[in-house]
Amino acid sequence: MPGRLMPRHPAPHASRLRPTALATVLLTVLVGALSACGGTASSAGGAATLKWASSYFPTHWDPVVGGSGAQFRELALVYASLTRTDETGKAVPDLAKSWEYNSKGDEITFHLRPGLKFSDGLPVDGAAVKAAIERAKKQKNSALFGDLTSIKSVDASGLDAVVHLTQVDYQIPQLLGERVLQIASPKAAADPGKLDQNPVGAGPFTITQLIPGTKAVLRKNPNYWDAKNIHIDNVELTSAPDASTVVSGLQTGVYNFADIEPSQAAAAKKAGLDVFVQPGFNASNISLNVNKAPFDNNKVVDAVRHAINRQEFVDKLTFGYGQVTDQPFPKGYVAYDPASQNNYPYDPGKSKKLLAEAGYKAGDLKLDLVIPAEDPQAEIVQSQLAAVGITVTIKIDKNWATPFFAKNLTFSLYSTTGRDSAVQTLTAHFGPNGPLNLSSPYEPAGFEAAVAKVRRTPLEAPDYTTVLRAATRAGLQSKALVFTYSAPNLIAKSKAISRLPKIPAHIDWTGVTISGSK
Amino acid sequence: MMRRILSLTSGRIALGVLAVIALLALLGPLLAPQDPLATSGHTLANPSSAHWLGTDNLGRDVLSRLLDGSRVSVAGSLEVALTALVVGAIPGILSVYLGRAFEWVTLRLADTLVALPFLLFAVAVIALLGNGLTQAMLVTGALVSPLFYRVSRAATLAVARSQYVEAALISGASIGWVVRRHVWAKVLPSIAVALAQTIGVGFIIVSSLTFLGIGIQPPKPTWGGLLASDLGYLSYQPWAPLVPALLIMVTVWAANLLADTLRDVSGEAGRALINNRKAHADRRSKSDLVTTGGAR
Repeated sequence: MPGRLMPRHPAPHASRLRPTALATVLLTVLVGALSACGGTASSAGGAATLKWASSYFPTHWDPVVGGSGAQFRELALVYASLTRTDETGKAVPDLAKSWEYNSKGDEITFHLRPGLKFSDGLPVDGAAVKAAIERAKKQKNSALFGDLTSIKSVDASGLDAVVHLTQVDYQIPQLLGERVLQIASPKAAADPGKLDQNPVGAGPFTITQLIPGTKAVLRKNPNYWDAKNIHIDNVELTSAPDASTVVSGLQTGVYNFADIEPSQAAAAKKAGLDVFVQPGFNASNISLNVNKAPFDNNKVVDAVRHAINRQEFVDKLTFGYGQVTDQPFPKGYVAYDPASQNNYPYDPGKSKKLLAEAGYKAGDLKLDLVIPAEDPQAEIVQSQLAAVGITVTIKIDKNWATPFFAKNLTFSLYSTTGRDSAVQTLTAHFGPNGPLNLSSPYEPAGFEAAVAKVRRTPLEAPDYTTVLRAATRAGLQSKALVFTYSAPNLIAKSKAISRLPKIPAHIDWTGVTISGSK
Repeated sequence: MMRRILSLTSGRIALGVLAVIALLALLGPLLAPQDPLATSGHTLANPSSAHWLGTDNLGRDVLSRLLDGSRVSVAGSLEVALTALVVGAIPGILSVYLGRAFEWVTLRLADTLVALPFLLFAVAVIALLGNGLTQAMLVTGALVSPLFYRVSRAATLAVARSQYVEAALISGASIGWVVRRHVWAKVLPSIAVALAQTIGVGFIIVSSLTFLGIGIQPPKPTWGGLLASDLGYLSYQPWAPLVPALLIMVTVWAANLLADTLRDVSGEAGRALINNRKAHADRRSKSDLVTTGGAR
């Protein structure tokens, strides 16, 4: 028999091989059994190890370059900030133990906790805060400078950082949290290129190994100000592979924590994993450029608004975990304006009529929808607009970010994970230079004044919610954005990991334990 | 040649399967029972009389998408194979006759192209020239062309050194006449084998790229793309990836089977094989006649 791997006749040593084979099988079974006893949570030495598969593995580890998008959650393992948010979304102390405004509201002083150090040994003081803010405002590749327009200058005095503002702005403690001001060691940040690959912060963990784009290994930072409440010893952060394989990874113990696609939730539940939705501010939109034809015609914009059936996005993309929204945040959020709800209901008949009034017959209007990657959202938009006579061609552009943020596109999609400061969310979408406003410098009439009023209103003021919602209402007059739905922050984890604090849009490891370790 | 291929069972099966696939490519979009791009509220539905292969995550008819997607997959693989044939075979034959410099340059070029990973290169080309399958397949065809170069060069060398060709050249025959009269006939069977094999390789490349979502603008369906999207909904439709996967597998298998058959039936060995089979069949029919007669 050609190609036969085994000898035709029993080998003379077969009798000796048999006990060896038996021993090998026993050893394999024993190793498997012992591994199972160890559980998925622990590694060698019984240390609590978090094995996190993330779809948002940071492309940049310099928080100034990374910006305030979804990756801030992973960067928050390494970096701490002046404030953080609690379960109600309100700013609470982090590196700063307290803060106070002057009587006019145009200056805020942060008092830092004493004795704190970055992981390179440098002290966490006012000078470090000043350096962090100035870097975020001035660094050439900063993704944050647009968020810091209210800050004129910073003075450092020992453990105090005095922030001088260009206008009265009571949103600053909300703003200078984990999203916008994760503070890096000034020494490490002197070389931003190096910091991008070797992050140095004062957060709950320090990096021990970083393979760019693939994996980061971290260990607990004993010098973190709240180290006593961090019960995780090691973190293995991995870039999540294909969505369909994450659940298998969780099931087999390769990971014990992962964000998952809604389509995978049923499989994760079936596999006996904990599946939960972390509250958040996610909102997806269709971005229109009103500076370009055909969206320079109000009737075409209104036709698109009425052609969109938001429920279809929820039904087909979120598997019951998401919700419709027509504002840049989900229903129930403090800034969500009930008075503006359903301003443009799904009405394909009205949409067709508006298109006819604008001079377009069915099939006349042809649009390119430019997106960065394959996305079923685009196919739903294409199909809904086709139903009213607009022909949409989906174009995938791997360099999409450049024309999108340069405001050169006419028609695109964007999904945001929101911001801790409601004003930041509003200005990002509707402000004249808002990064998510494809129609810059266009802004709806009255928006600037409404936002200024919110900034002038302390968060504790009784009319804060009313003033904030009025600003949302003013923003929603914008013709540049059609909001569609709010995707869930869906997470699957091993049951060995205890419940996470329900801090909206954040993943906070304070108090979280991993059973079966130590 | 066709008679020889059809005389073998493997040849009949391979041609049969490839003919069906070719018909799907030609008529598939017309045969689709529903609009392959039309979404509906019936998402991830099981097979039914309305949707023979169920619906996908956006409620589109899977059978219609498979039929519509066959053209892209087949056209892409043919594009790879034909590009490779043109880019590889002609220089392969000419390298024997056009002097040492041409031979040296083309050999080094072939070595270089072999060293380049074609899937990675196709992705790079798409990144450079924009998201389209045509340019990626043309480049992939060029990268696969060394196979044709080597096959045609080897066959040409064998013919060029034969005495009757040398005699023809001494008698004043031109190189063009020699190539047309003697070389082409000898090279063609080897090229046919390589072509069938390359169609299979091209199919795998097209399926791989479209599986990764590269080269095709959504919502245009492809077999590779359908396979990829089905994998995201395994817990709802665990059987769904089987259909596009089987279509890809069977097509590649048929192309390879055809290549094997072509190899078996080409040249002197092929003629001998066919003659042997014919003789064997004759002997069997004769012995059957005798047995039948004896029973009477």
